[in-house]
Amino acid sequence: MTQAVSLEYVLIVAAALFCIGLFGALARRNLISMLMGIELMLNAVNINLVAFWRYLEPSYVTGQVFVLFIIAVAAAEAAVGLAMVIAVYRSRTTLQADEVDSLKG
Amino acid sequence: MQFTLVEIPRLLPELLLLVLAVLVLGSDIFERWASNEEAQIERNRSAGSLTSIGLVLIFGIALLQSGYVYLLPADAPTNPLTNIVRNLQAGGPYAGELLGVPITPILGAFHSDHLTMIARLTFILAAFVTSTIAYETLKIRNPGEFYALLLASTVGMCLMAGATELILAFIAIELTSIPLYILAGYFRDDKRSSEAGMKYFLFGALSSCIMLYGMSLVFGFSANAGSNGPNSGFMTQFRSIAESTEVASNTTLLVVGMIFMIVGLGYKLAVVPFHAWAPDVYQGAPTVVTGFISTASKMAGFLLLLRLLEVAFPSLVGSVALSYSGLPAVEAPVGGWSALLALIALLTLVFGNLAALPQTNAKRLLSYSSIGQAGFILLGVFAWSAINPLDQAIANTSLIYYLVVYLISNIVAFAIICLVEQQSGSDEISAFNGLAQRNLPLAALMTISVLSLAGIPPLAGFFAKFYIFLAAWQAGAWPIVLAAVLVSFISLYYYLRFLKAMFIEAPEQSERLTVPGTALATIAVVSLLVLALGIYPNLLLELVNHTQVIASN
Repeated sequence: MTQAVSLEYVLIVAAALFCIGLFGALARRNLISMLMGIELMLNAVNINLVAFWRYLEPSYVTGQVFVLFIIAVAAAEAAVGLAMVIAVYRSRTTLQADEVDSLKG
Repeated sequence: MQFTLVEIPRLLPELLLLVLAVLVLGSDIFERWASNEEAQIERNRSAGSLTSIGLVLIFGIALLQSGYVYLLPADAPTNPLTNIVRNLQAGGPYAGELLGVPITPILGAFHSDHLTMIARLTFILAAFVTSTIAYETLKIRNPGEFYALLLASTVGMCLMAGATELILAFIAIELTSIPLYILAGYFRDDKRSSEAGMKYFLFGALSSCIMLYGMSLVFGFSANAGSNGPNSGFMTQFRSIAESTEVASNTTLLVVGMIFMIVGLGYKLAVVPFHAWAPDVYQGAPTVVTGFISTASKMAGFLLLLRLLEVAFPSLVGSVALSYSGLPAVEAPVGGWSALLALIALLTLVFGNLAALPQTNAKRLLSYSSIGQAGFILLGVFAWSAINPLDQAIANTSLIYYLVVYLISNIVAFAIICLVEQQSGSDEISAFNGLAQRNLPLAALMTISVLSLAGIPPLAGFFAKFYIFLAAWQAGAWPIVLAAVLVSFISLYYYLRFLKAMFIEAPEQSERLTVPGTALATIAVVSLLVLALGIYPNLLLELVNHTQVIASN
């Protein structure tokens, strides 16, 4: 099979996206930004899976199905996460992770 | 490979749990929805007792299906009653013996073997204790949702224990975790609960992403290598991954993917250095939920890790054997996933137990203690690297035994903290002061569970520790076993602080601490189990012996 872009380039894009997402999730202090970082990481995984499926075993569906499941679960996770953010905001009126620190020890 | 209707009984406990979850959610509609306290308590009691009764029934059905108490003989007469039992047990772990053909995973994705069955029974027990304590002690808003989420999470754990395929493993982990995020932050007006939920969610989602990235790399590896087996095209199955390593020449991608997956699962299991979230979440979450998170979800995670490593990555096991004169000669050098886990185990043991020493909050202390316990459990996981198949069998057996004993001991401890917290309004250790004078049975039960966690004979915890040390020693990791013995002495100090508070300190209030009868009875029955398993460990060991070989199919 001939492709205009080779598999390595797609994987590099996915890896870069994953690193950006990881950085966002770990370094940003705003809870919404952290959620956005997590979504980026999930999308990196999706790109990886679709690329592996398309380039390596296009005659089967496993990789595609995996991506569909991840998208569905990510939606459920985002819903719960945003609800949590609202609960935290209502009780503290802040979204800065540094200020959500009543548990220590 | 096709799914047939005959295979539905193999998923029966999960299906029944789902039905119960829908029932609990639906029956809540018919309750009196008033804002006064009485109506709320009544709603909570009815939803909670429905959950508890349902869980007892499901436990009974699962026990009958498992065949551990009564296995229908092959020459039993045919009548409606025996037909029901026969059909049930044909979906249980003994189906292989009954039908004469070895059972294989359903669609290669879910295995209903002895490991899954024992895990199911344990998770149902944990959910039962949690729901019983919850409806006796908590004022839960919208109780139907609370118990339905608890049951959904239990289904996820059962699926985690049986998953032999990457997609199902991921779905099961999320089905376990997402309800637990909500449960941890359920009391959203309580600042600590909402903060615990938020932290649990952020770390959980982050670890899922890391694990998924590992899964995608592993999928890429196996899709590239292909497999000679009958499963080509189903390259996310653990077995196909193992088969593809035999074909492939370069396993770098697989190793990287495996490390990502271990890191992601490590976050879920709260092992050092991925433990940072655990004390905060365990302290902030409602105490019953903390008990459930720190026992059942941890056990499910370890079972998934076990199956993943032993079925999908047996070729990367490496070795932890350090040669010394008392052991047979070692062929493989130290390395592989067993050495990685050994390193994590050492860090977890030392950090978890030392950090627990200065704690004054009972929940926080037990959360560090359960981080430390994860270190002991890891000994059983990497002990599988032993060369001798008998030693591998001992490793699996000791791991399952430890997990079950840890779960029942720890859930009792958290349940008692919950009861004391409800009466005194405090979850500090000082709330336990003089508990022996205020309520002797409760103090005695706490003593049993805490001493079992510390590993004092003749309680079950002692035998669990003994077997797991034995297994790790056989694998050649004697320095880690020595460290583990040392830290279990250190851990005695912080466990004994509970006893000092309960039996020596003077009580802050003198009046009797009253405890709901159902809650006390539940805790007492589970504690008796700890005592019985300590005096007669074969009770459980005979069951657990069935899980000796996981990797064979």
